[in-house]
Amino acid sequence: MPRRTIFLQAGLGEARLEAWVAEGWIGRDTAPDEAELARIALIQALTEELGVNEAGVDVALGLLDQLHGLRRALRQMQAELDRLPPPLRTALIEAARRGD
Amino acid sequence: MSDDPYARLGVGRDASADDIKRAYRKLARKLHPDLNPGDKTAEERFKQISAAHDLLSDAEKRARFDRGEIDASGQERPTQRRWRDHAGSARDSYASDSGFADFADDDDVLSEFFSRGGRRAGMRVKGHDLAGELRIDFLEAVNGTTRRLGLPDGAVDVVVPPGSADGQVLRLRGKGAPGWGGGPPGDLLVTLSVAPHPRFTREGDDILLDLPVSIPEAVLGGKVEVPTPAGAVMLSVPPGSNAGSRLRVRGRGVPRADGSRGDLYATLALVLPEQPDAALEDFLRGWAGRGYDPRKGRG
Repeated sequence: MPRRTIFLQAGLGEARLEAWVAEGWIGRDTAPDEAELARIALIQALTEELGVNEAGVDVALGLLDQLHGLRRALRQMQAELDRLPPPLRTALIEAARRGD
Repeated sequence: MSDDPYARLGVGRDASADDIKRAYRKLARKLHPDLNPGDKTAEERFKQISAAHDLLSDAEKRARFDRGEIDASGQERPTQRRWRDHAGSARDSYASDSGFADFADDDDVLSEFFSRGGRRAGMRVKGHDLAGELRIDFLEAVNGTTRRLGLPDGAVDVVVPPGSADGQVLRLRGKGAPGWGGGPPGDLLVTLSVAPHPRFTREGDDILLDLPVSIPEAVLGGKVEVPTPAGAVMLSVPPGSNAGSRLRVRGRGVPRADGSRGDLYATLALVLPEQPDAALEDFLRGWAGRGYDPRKGRG
């Protein structure tokens, strides 16, 4: 199904679709998958349900994208830390508790 | 939290539609699950205020609820799509590292993780360094040697380069603890402990020793044998050399890394014959110069 059709099905009018792409909130060439629809749902919730204006959406999305980038980095680091030999892990945890 | 939709939104029963909308939005901005990515309870709390809002924002439903015809149940929305369930995945092209880009220097372990797009190479950790001590004698340090050092799991041959000094640390790359995740092993750091020598002492790259000379050698000069770390050499003692004179033997000191060597300094020590010598005594009694007073003028 064409990308545009899916977005329009999600309740996003053509003008707003273009406007959001222009704002950089959604990608022009992003695959129209569940993730993209969820992002659209978030922007809809912000603008319609929560009464956040355009500038506020810009700020919120910018911070959220940074937050998710950080969470992703933390998850990757945690996965690698989990693979450390137990004595090294213990030493790291103890150092973290001491605040080294 | 109470089941009462008014209480959930924190408004009174006489709240206007605008009051309700304002109260709901204020709460929703705090509780929306996508604004609380790490909080698993946010969805449930958000559902409760959404249900309250759905009921109270519909004038007909609100009136029926107020009359007691319906209760607050049955207002729940179906589960929504949530961006937080997708955000930050490996495929998320929106997630940004700009919030922590300053963490990551190139030689920083963390930079492995803090790169956008998730280069998912496994973390390679260098093994930790081990420490050891090696006792060697003076000449081994000066001339260099190879010594076997016992370790908890085996032994390692330590090459002590010429010109090594007491307290010097030799780094044996890759002889430390094994690495992890394909990382290289650590290093073995061997601290040298150099025993003193009965005759030589060391001052930087120079070697000092006391050189005993006889009376004729001191007075008349001559060739004398001088021990050096690399074997004995012949040294010319000039005529009239006094006790305490320092004679330099160039290039016979400690080897340097560049291939040159320091010098050896021999301090002359005047030594009388071990047994009293009657002929020497007779000679000195008849010696015209015996009135010389080396202490004269010293106060």
